[in-house]
Amino acid sequence: MPVLDPFREGLARGWTTYNGAQLTQDLPLEADVAIIGSGAGGGTTAEILSAAGYKVVLIEEGPLKTSHDFKLLEDQAYTSLYQEGLGRMSKDGAITILQGRAVGGTTLINWTSCFRTPNQTLDHWATEHNVKGHSPAEMAPWFEQMERRLGVAPWLVPPNANNDVIRKGCEQLGYSWHVIPRNVRGCWNLGYCGMGCPTNAKQSMLVTTIPATLDKGGALLYLARAERLMIKNDAVVSLECLAMDERCVAPTGRHVTVKARHYVLAGGGINSPALLLRSEAPDPHERLGKRTFLHLVNMSAGQFDEVINPFYGAPQSIYSDHFQWQDGATGKMSYKLEVPPLHPALAAALLGGFGSENAEHMAQLPHTHAMLALMRDGFHPDSSGGNVQLRSDGTPVLDYAVSPYAWDGLRRAFHSMAEIQFAGGARAVMPMHSDAGYVKTLAQARTLIDGLDLALYRTRLGSAHVMGGCAMGEDPKSAVTDSLGRHHQLSNLSIHDGSLFPTSIGANPQLSVYGLTAQLATALAERLKKS
Amino acid sequence: MNPSLTDIPTLSRRGLLQFSLGASAFLVTVGLGASLSGCSPSQPASGLTALRNSDLAFLRAVIPVTLNGAVAAEKIPAATAATLQNLDISLAHLSPAMLKLTRQLFDVLTLGITRGPLTGVWGSWENANADDIQKFLERWENSALDLLRQGHSSLLQMVMMAWYSRAEAWAHCGYPGPPKI
Repeated sequence: MPVLDPFREGLARGWTTYNGAQLTQDLPLEADVAIIGSGAGGGTTAEILSAAGYKVVLIEEGPLKTSHDFKLLEDQAYTSLYQEGLGRMSKDGAITILQGRAVGGTTLINWTSCFRTPNQTLDHWATEHNVKGHSPAEMAPWFEQMERRLGVAPWLVPPNANNDVIRKGCEQLGYSWHVIPRNVRGCWNLGYCGMGCPTNAKQSMLVTTIPATLDKGGALLYLARAERLMIKNDAVVSLECLAMDERCVAPTGRHVTVKARHYVLAGGGINSPALLLRSEAPDPHERLGKRTFLHLVNMSAGQFDEVINPFYGAPQSIYSDHFQWQDGATGKMSYKLEVPPLHPALAAALLGGFGSENAEHMAQLPHTHAMLALMRDGFHPDSSGGNVQLRSDGTPVLDYAVSPYAWDGLRRAFHSMAEIQFAGGARAVMPMHSDAGYVKTLAQARTLIDGLDLALYRTRLGSAHVMGGCAMGEDPKSAVTDSLGRHHQLSNLSIHDGSLFPTSIGANPQLSVYGLTAQLATALAERLKKS
Repeated sequence: MNPSLTDIPTLSRRGLLQFSLGASAFLVTVGLGASLSGCSPSQPASGLTALRNSDLAFLRAVIPVTLNGAVAAEKIPAATAATLQNLDISLAHLSPAMLKLTRQLFDVLTLGITRGPLTGVWGSWENANADDIQKFLERWENSALDLLRQGHSSLLQMVMMAWYSRAEAWAHCGYPGPPKI
């Protein structure tokens, strides 16, 4: 039976959408609220505001792709659904940054892991960053609300073999491990969450909050880059957008001008501060784009006698926080352990090398498992994150230096991963570093890891979570918005996305964005009634 | 005080840093000069969207070396052509800023003035043998210059991803392909 495509059905019912690439003339739009970005923060905000009776327009830079378009092919997904066509990197080219860019934002291509913001993180924000109203008790109802909305529940199907390595290894070592809650309904357990869900099981914004918004008469503009907020007397008077071609590479020359009572910025880390920088928004204390965090990631491969098939099955279902809070919130760099799925193109890049070395590693792909460590950056003075800068063409790039404090965490994470992989049954382990090959015992791995030159480019570094850059907090000297996401200097601008986080989360951040923005959007709906 | 590397003048941090900066400035100047003088036209090669003729000779020399061991010798020409096709599509979807950086990398690799000193390949890429190319890749991987190490990692990533995106590549890595929906 063919899979239904509810988004296409909605379009057929007459939803209001505009494709920037097809505009033949400039387009003026008006709404009560203009929401820039259609990912976790924008989608959640759009649904809540439209349910409260406001006319919203959602503005997305990327294309509109729906289940019908998702062919489970890496090249198609990477070129169409990711920022800069998967080319986004830190300024020095040392860290690959995976971020979504399509209707639904990163929720379209994430691996469906849902964690509430850890209590330690929320407490740290209150004590160190002057954040009010986001204590664990105050946030709990918002997380509950969004968990219900998006079908978030621990994954009851047995983990795939790739994830099961964490369970087996941690059991053997007496380390803690848990099942990951996922935002899916009727999941087929295919393993292609990163390429767009072909069965609409993933409860991304594409199949939940955006349809709800469009059903309420909201509008969606896609393939339109929010280029500049026009600012006058401490208020935003309009938003200028550039229509983009179908590839989302070049502006077509058409413009869209959006006028609204209120503007919500939800472009996520990097893009949200970049729009404010381009708009020359007031930034008296130079906070814009500062303290941008990545959950810097390193990885370790393991070869097993049994078949792992790391390309099939729910990509993330088991995690370990054994090392996450051992040293308190503000101690040495700590990390969460999970696994990435390994499809051939990604695997070839991660396993590294070329010629016969890479060919041998790739020949073992069905027997290969990979583990990753997410560094919890931003909690220690030696982990101050990166800065968003504008290139000469106005597009953003993140300058992110890896501190000795972070390298120390990365080295310990290589050790932890190798230990768990061997305990989980690996016959050989290879830290993903250009000087490392597979070694057969934990003792060999320890010697290898201790001797690795942990330098940029030699260590394969990645990131799938961009956080911060428009920090929230009550003190305008250290924050861009207050704790309700209201811009400290611009009266009719709010920020509702992961750029608000004063530190990284210490867990995959989608549920943190949903819960926080549900809370902020509900408060905004109340404020708009009064104004 | 412990003696340290900085006591040895040639290995001092400062010396290395100056060398790096000097080399970067050199590359930028050469790249800029080349662009201004029209040595590296930005017109894509015929039938392609992003790759230029000057890039193709280099890539046709390097891709077979990177695929060695994963592809049978008689299939290398077809695999190289397929890799180029996928690489062209992915470059055509990069942001203009990233495409520009990628083209600068190709310029450094293909313009005579930089190719010889930086890659050790003094003749044209068409005439380089597998051994020369292997040596060039190892030299860049272990270079003291960030720029070359970065170039090495970007180059390998883009080529390997382009090949393994293709269904023809999957038998070697035991990937049965995506399930039918």
